[in-house]
Amino acid sequence: MVSAARSDIHKKPIGPRIKKYAGFYLLFLPVLVFLIIFHYLPMFGIYFAFTKYTIIKDPVWVGLKNFERLFSMPNFWNAFYNTLELSVVKLLLTTAFSVILSLLLNEMINIHAKKTAQTIIYLPHFMSWVVTASVFQLILSPSTAGLVNQVLMNLGITDQGIYFLGSSQWWKFAYYVINIWHDTGWGTIIFMATLTGIDPGIYEAASIDGAGRWKKMWYVTLPALANTIITVLILNLAKIMNLFESVFVLQNDAVMDVSQVLQTYVYYQTFNSGGIPDYGYTTAIGLFRSLVGMVLMLVCNYASKKVRGRGIV
Amino acid sequence: MQTAKSTTHVKKSHKHMGVFPVINGILFVIVCLIILVPLWKVLVDSLDLTTGYGMKLFPEKFGFEGYITVLTNPTLATPLWNSVITTVSGTLLGLLLSTLGAYVLIQFDMPGRGLFAGLLLFTMIFSGGMIPSYIVMRNLGLTNTLWVVILLPAINVYNLVLMRNFFEGIPNSLFESATLDGCTPMQTFYKIALPLSKAALASIGLMFAVSYWNDYTNYKLYITKANLYNFQMKLRSMMMGSNLPTAVGSATENTVQNAAVIVAILPFMILYPFLQKYFVKGINIGAVKE
Repeated sequence: MVSAARSDIHKKPIGPRIKKYAGFYLLFLPVLVFLIIFHYLPMFGIYFAFTKYTIIKDPVWVGLKNFERLFSMPNFWNAFYNTLELSVVKLLLTTAFSVILSLLLNEMINIHAKKTAQTIIYLPHFMSWVVTASVFQLILSPSTAGLVNQVLMNLGITDQGIYFLGSSQWWKFAYYVINIWHDTGWGTIIFMATLTGIDPGIYEAASIDGAGRWKKMWYVTLPALANTIITVLILNLAKIMNLFESVFVLQNDAVMDVSQVLQTYVYYQTFNSGGIPDYGYTTAIGLFRSLVGMVLMLVCNYASKKVRGRGIV
Repeated sequence: MQTAKSTTHVKKSHKHMGVFPVINGILFVIVCLIILVPLWKVLVDSLDLTTGYGMKLFPEKFGFEGYITVLTNPTLATPLWNSVITTVSGTLLGLLLSTLGAYVLIQFDMPGRGLFAGLLLFTMIFSGGMIPSYIVMRNLGLTNTLWVVILLPAINVYNLVLMRNFFEGIPNSLFESATLDGCTPMQTFYKIALPLSKAALASIGLMFAVSYWNDYTNYKLYITKANLYNFQMKLRSMMMGSNLPTAVGSATENTVQNAAVIVAILPFMILYPFLQKYFVKGINIGAVKE
C-alpha cells in the first residue's frame, strides 16, 4: 500500500529509473539465484505429481492416477486428519497457556522475579526438537528410570510404568504436553509486548470505578489482548500443514496410527517404504498438502486483513 | 505525571492485594520448576556414573567420564565440527542474503521491486514440497554435501521481511544524502544501512544461528553419509541406541546419552542469558511493528 503511494509521486520514465537502480539489481542477484534454486525449481517439480517416477526410469505421464490412488488410501486420510488435529489442538493449547501465563506475568510486581521467570520460560523454545525428544524420552521412559513414571508409581497412581510415547492411547496427550512445555513461554513475548503498551490510566480509571484485580484483568487486560490473540491464531493457522519435525522425532512404529501426519507419511513412503519409491506418488501427496496449505494461507491472509488491516504476506 | 500516577496505582493496589501475589509467585515457581526439572534431571544424570534411577537432586557417584567420552570420541568430534562450521558459515550467508534482499525491498521507486517482493512472498504461500526439493537437490549434486545444509536455509523469507521492517525505520534522508555524496548502492548499504542495524543484525543472526545449530530435518532429508552428520543427527542416533561411543572409564550408557544432550544445548545455554534481549527484540520487530 505504502509503496504504491510512494512510487506514484515520482513517475519518471522507466528507462532512466532502471539505470538509476542498476546497482541494486546487482545486489538482488544473489537473493534471486537462491530463490530460484531452492524455491522455484522445486515448485516446477510438482509436475512429477502427474507422473510415475521411480529411480530406475524417467518420469512417465499418468495424469491424475496418483491422486486417485491417494484418495482411496485410508492411511492418507488418517494422516490428513492427524495433521489437522495435532496442529490445531497444539495451537489452541499453547496459545491459551501463553495468554494465561502473560496475564499472570503482568501481575508480577517484583521486577527481578519477573525477569527471571521470563528468562526461564523462554528457554525450551531454543532447544532443538531432537534435544526435546531426547529429554522427554528419558523422563517419560516406562521403566523406573523415567522420572514421571517413578513419581506416579510412588504416589500409587499406577503400579505399572506407562509407556507415554509408545502407546496410541497416550501419545497425543504426551505430544501436546511436550509442545506446551516447548512453546508456551516463547508465545508470551508477543502478548507481553501488547500488555506493556496498555495505558496505566485505564487501570487507574477502572480502580476508581471500583474494579478489583479480577475485574481489571477481565475487562481491561483481556480485551486489550483480543486482537493479538486473533493475530497469533491467524498467523499460525496458516502454517499448520507444515507440521513435521516435532512429530517425526517423537513418533515410533507403535504409535503410527495416531502420529502419522502428511509430511511424515511422505517421508516414510519415499525413504523408508522398503520398496522402490515412486517419487510421482509422494510428490502428489506433497502437492495436496501444499494446496491445502495455500488455501489456508489465503483464507488467513483475508481474515488478517479484515481483523487488523494488513495481510500476513 | 505519568510515572507519579502509576506509582500511586501500584501503592494503592499494594494495600488491598491480599494473597494473590503470593499465590502468583508460587505458581511461577511451579511453572519454572516444570521447565527446569527435566533439564536438571538430564544434567544430574550426565554427571552420575551410576545409572540414573528416578529423580536425584545431585549425582550419586560424581564423575566427568560421560563428558570425556563425548568430547574425546572421534565419532562425535566430526559431528560437532560439522555443526560448528555449518552454523558459522550459514549464519553469515543468511545475514548477507537477508540484508541484501531487505535493502533492495526498501527501494520503493525501483522498477521491478514489486515483482521481487512478490517472488519472495509467494514462497511463503506455496512450496513444491519435500520430494521435488529432494529431486532438485539430488540432480544438482548437492545431496550428501554440507553445501545443501548451509545454502538451503540461508534464504529465509521470514527473516528477510524482519530485516526489511527494520530498514524501513531508518530515515530515508540518510540514504539520500549518502547518494548525493557519491556513494554507490553497495557503499550506502555497508556504510549506512548495516552500521545502523546492529541490533537487528544481532537478533536475526541469532535466529539463524539457532536454526542452523538445531537443524535436523535438512540433514535427515539430504544427507545419508555419517561423516557429514551434525551433532543433532548424532545425538538422535545415540538416543535411538545405535552407534553409542565406547564409554570412558566407569561411565554408563545412560551417562553418555545424558552428557551428549547437555553438550548439544550447552553452547547456547552459556550465551543465552546475555543474548535474550536480542531474541525478544527480533520477535518484536516483526510481529508488533505497529
